[in-house]
Order: sequence, then C-alpha cells, then structure tokens
Amino acid sequence: MNVLSAPSTVQGGLPGGDVLTSVAILMPPGDATAASLRDPEQENIASIEVTSLDHLADLVDHRIGAVLITEEALWGVGFDRLKQALAAQPLWSDVPFIVLADGTTGDRSEAASERTDDLGNAVLLPRVLRAEELLRSVRSALKARGRQHDARARMEELQNRERQVAESEAQFQAIANSVDQMIWSTTPDGLHDYYNTRWYEFTGVPEGSTDGEAWNGMFHPDDQERAWKIWRHSLSTGEPYEIEYRLRHRSGRYHWVLGRALPMRSADGTILRWYGTCTDIHEIKIAEEQRQLMLAEMNHRVKNTLAMVHSVVSQTLRHASNLDDARAAIQSRIGSMSQAHDRLIHSSWLEARIGDIVETAIAPHRPEVDRFVIEGPDLPIGSKQALALTMALHELATNAAKYGALSSDEGKVRIGWSVDGEGEGEEEVFHFTWVEEGGPEVREPSSRGFGSKMIEKALAGYFQGAADLAYDPGGLRFHMTAPLEGLTT
Amino acid sequence: MMRTETREGPAVLVVEDEPLIRMEAIDMMEEAGFRVFDAGSADQAVALMERHKEIGILFTDVDMPGSMNGLGLAAHVRTHWPRVFIVIASGVINIDKAALPEGCSVYPKPYPTNQILAELRRVACASE
Repeated sequence: MNVLSAPSTVQGGLPGGDVLTSVAILMPPGDATAASLRDPEQENIASIEVTSLDHLADLVDHRIGAVLITEEALWGVGFDRLKQALAAQPLWSDVPFIVLADGTTGDRSEAASERTDDLGNAVLLPRVLRAEELLRSVRSALKARGRQHDARARMEELQNRERQVAESEAQFQAIANSVDQMIWSTTPDGLHDYYNTRWYEFTGVPEGSTDGEAWNGMFHPDDQERAWKIWRHSLSTGEPYEIEYRLRHRSGRYHWVLGRALPMRSADGTILRWYGTCTDIHEIKIAEEQRQLMLAEMNHRVKNTLAMVHSVVSQTLRHASNLDDARAAIQSRIGSMSQAHDRLIHSSWLEARIGDIVETAIAPHRPEVDRFVIEGPDLPIGSKQALALTMALHELATNAAKYGALSSDEGKVRIGWSVDGEGEGEEEVFHFTWVEEGGPEVREPSSRGFGSKMIEKALAGYFQGAADLAYDPGGLRFHMTAPLEGLTT
Repeated sequence: MMRTETREGPAVLVVEDEPLIRMEAIDMMEEAGFRVFDAGSADQAVALMERHKEIGILFTDVDMPGSMNGLGLAAHVRTHWPRVFIVIASGVINIDKAALPEGCSVYPKPYPTNQILAELRRVACASE
C-alpha cells in the first residue's frame, strides 16, 4: 500500500478540503525517494503532487499541511512567488518544509543555506534516507501544523470572548448611563468602586473622587450619621439598604434622594458585591411637604372658622330677644362669612383687594336703586381683616336696613377709606368710614348686641386700630383708624 | 380694660389674639359674673397682670404671635404669680401635657362653655 495516497489533484488545479492535512511533494520525476515513502505498516498520509513552485505557492495560500521538496527544486521558476505566499501567511501559520539535501547536509554553499532559510520553518534531511525516518519527519511536520490550527482556533475563541466582553461592557455602560437614576456598586465590605455618569452629572464632582467611603461627604451633614448607621447595618446583615436623605447637587443645594441597594450573592450565599441606586425624589418630597403644610394650614383655618362660627352663634343667642330673630341673624351672619371666603378663594386666599371685599360685603344689601357711594384707593387686605371687614359691613348694612339710612327711600350710605401721613418719617394711617344720611333720626340703642360689638371692638382688633361708632341723630357714623400695616399683618 | 361688676372675687384675664373669639370669651366670663380683663398677646397680658393684683384666673389661648405663646405665658405666670389659676384653651388636638405648668386646666376650642364656667365658679368660691 502506498503510504502517501494517490495524488488528489490534477496538475495546476486546486486541492479539495483535505489540503490542510496533506503534504505537498515537489520532486523530479522518477526520484527514488518517493518510493522510499512506501511502507505497508503505516497509515496513509494524504499527499498532493506538485510540479512547480507556482503551484506550491497556491497551496501555501490554501494552508497546505506540510511540504516535502528536494533542494534543487527550490531553484526552479517561481521561488519569489513562493516567498511572497509564505510572507503573506497569517501570524499563526508557519508551513513546515522538509528539504531533501542536494548531496550531503554538510558543507553547504552560502546561497544554498540562504534559500533554505528563506522558507522559514525548514529542516534539511539527507537525500538518502530510510523510509521510516522520512515518514516520521512528515508526520511530525503535519502534527506541528495541526497544533498551529489548534492554536489558531483557541486564539480566535479568546478574541471572540474578548469581543463579547467588550460588547457586553459597552451595553452595560449604555444602559447604566441612559437610566435616570444614579447607579453605584461596592465591594462586599462597602467600598465604592463604581458610579455611572449620572452620579457625576448630579454631584458635579471629579470622576473617582467619591470612591471608597468618600460618598458620605456628599450627604447633608444632618443625614450623614443616619446613612452610615443604616448602611453598616445592611453590610453586616445583608439586608437590603433603603434610605431617604439629602444629597449635594452640583448647584450646591441639597436634593432629597431615595437610596437603595441589594447584595449580589454567589451560589453559596456569600456576598460578592452591592449594587445600589439613588433616585432624585426632591420634587415629590417637596410637594409632599407642601401638601402637609397646606393640610396643617387648612386644619388651622377650618378650626378657626368653626371657632368664629361658634362665637357668632353663642353671642347672637345670648343677646337675642327671641328665637326667630336669633335664627335669622345667625343665618345671615354665617352667610356673610361664607361670602368673604368665596371672595378670598377667588384671590390668593392670603390677600384680597379691599374694593372687592367691600363690594362683595354690601352686594346682598344693595337694592335696585344704588344707595351706596364707595370711594377709596386700591389696597391689599389680609384674609383675617377681609373676613372681619365683611362681617362688620354686614352688621352695619343690616342695621341700616332695619333702622338707618337704608330703611327710608332717600337714605344714602357713604363708604370711604384713605391713607394719611405718606410723608417721610410719618407713620401711614389707614382710615375707614361708614356714614349714613337721609334716614330716620338715630337714637342710641339701650343695649349692645353682637353687631355693635363686632363693629366697635372686634373689627378694630383685627386691624390693630381704634374704632368709633357715633349715633349722630342725622345718621350713624362709623370711623376706624389703624396703622397701614394693620391691613395685612 | 376693666368692666365693673358688683360681684367680688377674682378677676379673669382673657388672652386671645383672635378678636371675635376673644369677644366670646369675655362675654362668657362677664355673663358668669366675673370682672374681665382682656389682652391680644402675652406681652399685653403680663403688663395687665403687673398692674391688676385682683386677677386670679388666667384664661389663655395657646397659639399666639409675639414673644411668648400661651404655654410660655402660662409658665411665666406660674413662676411669678403662683396663686393664679390657669386655664388653657387650645385648638390643637394633641397638646403636649408635659409642656404645661402644673395645675393647669385644658379645654378645647370652640369652648365647652358650661364646663369652663362650672370650674371657674368652683375656683372663685374656693378663693373667697
């Protein structure tokens, strides 16, 4: 059996799939050495018979397994083409040559040695060779060549893995930096070693400057100790970390942040890392605080209003001569408070305009023919003062309709207000007047009810001023003076 | 200001910054026969206490503007006029009892008129 199987190629053609494990043989026709490769004990070695160095160069391009060549064949046409093909091999590839010496292996000419050296990976064997020695050489050349392929496959696998790691890293960075949260990680003992770019954007600190334990300095001084305590507890127990605290924004202001972290564990439960996030909850937190403040303020106002209603009802009942009068008085008094609230709701609640308040207060008492003359500058008025003024005007108007200017057809009421003492260094004084005329003759009442107390005492109290109610026979006159600040404080 | 009453006994000082509610408290006390002084702030109240030794009962709101709130006033009065009986009226639901001076009575707002007056009459009788 021919150990080198029958040549698988046609002359000048290209080999099939087994070229990688074949040996190319370039020998003069009839060379006795080829015959020496016959060994019935050996397995077949695939061989390709080549006739020219050009052909051999093609096979090198196709990663031939090994080359068996006579020294004199190296001097044939196409050696430069072969050299180019060898030089063009990829890094991992180094085709092994077995060169059968022209004569003995010793005493070679410089040119002959150089030519063999040009092949790169070449062994020079004596021409006269026992068959098993040549076979061993060919086999070891093919084996070494096989290892080159293995190395190449291994290298490609590593490169592939490296690329996957890089892709996965790029993907992680893209995700970690696209979310709206700050992301961080620590070693099992809690030392920070990673923050996403959101962290650096938020805090404005240089990259790496908050590694280790330096993060705590970014917290509000009042929150640092609490955060440490909770974080240490999580580190020692492995329980999830969760805390709301104030984190210093790059603007220098502190923002409320929700911090959370979970441990990543190995198969046996050992903590490998901590992964955490910080979420900016400042706006939610501020809205919540404002809501709480507003609720507390609403509670205060509602209680205060109820106390005022209580005061109105109990004083009305105390001074009323009969239950029907009391019922009517209570209804209209509470009604006037309700109107004042409506007016305040339509403004900013904290403040209204005095003109609007006066108009609203007298509206229910305005008959078809207008009997009111209203004059005064546009001034802001606080909510308490607005409510008190509404109630006092209600009492004055009710009284005028029953006994005063509004009880006759010709009667008129002049309502006016003004500010005095606007000169330098002078205290600005607010005046408010209600003057009735054209009504029946006025007599001072024998007893004072809720209405006159409201007008004479309570109203001035709300304005931190003084009031005077004069029962002038020609018409009731009311005058209040107060510091201008009394309107709004 | 002082209202003249025929009845002898301790006078009441009403301290409340909301005039309408102060009016009601004054009305309630006067109707029960007490002489009444009133103030819109703790500072005014202290000034009245210094001038009128006949004030034997302090009836004060808690939430007031100024240098002292009602609790501060109560503490001040307890220290300087230990014999004065103190009644605190509070709109706050859960008032901190520990912040109150000893021997204070606390009532909610709006006032439970009958209960307050019953207690004040007992105090007035005891002091005669």
